[in-house]
Amino acid sequence: MATYKSPELRDRLAAEYVVGTLRGRARARFQSLLRYDPDLRRVVGEWEARITPLALAAGEIAPPARLWPALALRIGGAARGAGWTSSLAFWRGLAVTSTAFVLFLATFIGMAPRPEPPMAMVAVMEDDKGAPAMVVSWPPMKATRDPHIRIKVVQAHPTMAPGTSWELWMLPPGKAAPVSLGLITTDVDQTMKLKPALAGRMEGAWGVAMSIEPKDGSPTGAPTGPVIFKGQCVKIL
Amino acid sequence: MTRESARSGERESGRAAPDALASRLAGLLTQCALKNQRAFADLYQLTAAKLYGVALRILRRQDWAEEVLQECYVSIWNHAGDYAAAKSAPLTWMTSIVRNRCLDWLRRPQTEATGEEYDIAVEAWRDETPGPMEQLVAATESAALARCLQQLEARQRQSIMLAFFHGMSHSELAGHMRQPLGTVKTWVRRGLERLKGCLSSAAG
Repeated sequence: MATYKSPELRDRLAAEYVVGTLRGRARARFQSLLRYDPDLRRVVGEWEARITPLALAAGEIAPPARLWPALALRIGGAARGAGWTSSLAFWRGLAVTSTAFVLFLATFIGMAPRPEPPMAMVAVMEDDKGAPAMVVSWPPMKATRDPHIRIKVVQAHPTMAPGTSWELWMLPPGKAAPVSLGLITTDVDQTMKLKPALAGRMEGAWGVAMSIEPKDGSPTGAPTGPVIFKGQCVKIL
Repeated sequence: MTRESARSGERESGRAAPDALASRLAGLLTQCALKNQRAFADLYQLTAAKLYGVALRILRRQDWAEEVLQECYVSIWNHAGDYAAAKSAPLTWMTSIVRNRCLDWLRRPQTEATGEEYDIAVEAWRDETPGPMEQLVAATESAALARCLQQLEARQRQSIMLAFFHGMSHSELAGHMRQPLGTVKTWVRRGLERLKGCLSSAAG
């Protein structure tokens, strides 16, 4: 096997390796040499320092927000201890959009210390200004014996006017009518149990919404009051 | 032996900001090597847009760029211990990881179908008037690198850029530039030699 003793040859091959024109068997040979030849690695490092910065001239483009939660789970998934999941740094990995921020929060929900399946779907409900208000999430319904949805309050909200209630709705696919999930409050995080029939339909939901209803909920089975929060479902798992 | 240090790529711009970022990133990589997940979150926040830009420029498809980017960050997390500040600038190290993986991705047998996108990209490069290539060269943070690239003969610069951004081999270059193999090899080699010479006199 050639060992490339000539400095000029080494330099030229290193340059071509970095630029990308060194291919096939020559490239493979060069790569195996690199493992045992620290000086050759140094030469390659010099070429990388010279021209790799050119790659960055491509400009910055924020990656989609969904990338970070998936990535964070991959590197820290096993570590369900307080360090990672309770850390604000977990949130800082995001690009700067409020939806992304809350998607991340939703993943946080999935990493709660209780031994249960992580969340499969997440919906960030935003108010009319587009600010995240609540996050609704649920585990894969087939995987849990205890179908439920988890509701996390992101923004503190004013107390309800007397005689009213806040009802959560699931938006099924197509033009089907919203399906009531029940009454909720917006002051504390809560878990809402679901009847099995309803649980089965959650997988297809494309959104969730919350409306203001009379004290015991909508009398008609459909939203009668204003929808003040709504959000699209995002599949996590 | 040139007096260029391995960090010349970022120092040459003469601005304080790249150095401050470089120190920060180097510190974060050290922390990642110690499996500090908060440091990884910070690292991601500081670099993801740059690296996604690189991946998107080479792969030209969002879904591919997303997949490669994720693999690369996992790799960066797993191999942060291999990073040595004395040997390369942190962003260069990370960019190389992304670029190499992108080029490997393009070379998989299944990606033969990028024919049309590839040709469009190549056509854009062929133009010598200010176009994507010139913009790219001008946009590089390293003023010296930009100047030295601009000093190359157009064909030398074109062939290097095509290889660099599209992973073209000599024979692919010969095909796309419609030149004999020996000619493009010479362009690449001479171009790289001149680049090296120009950059070392810039650093000196």
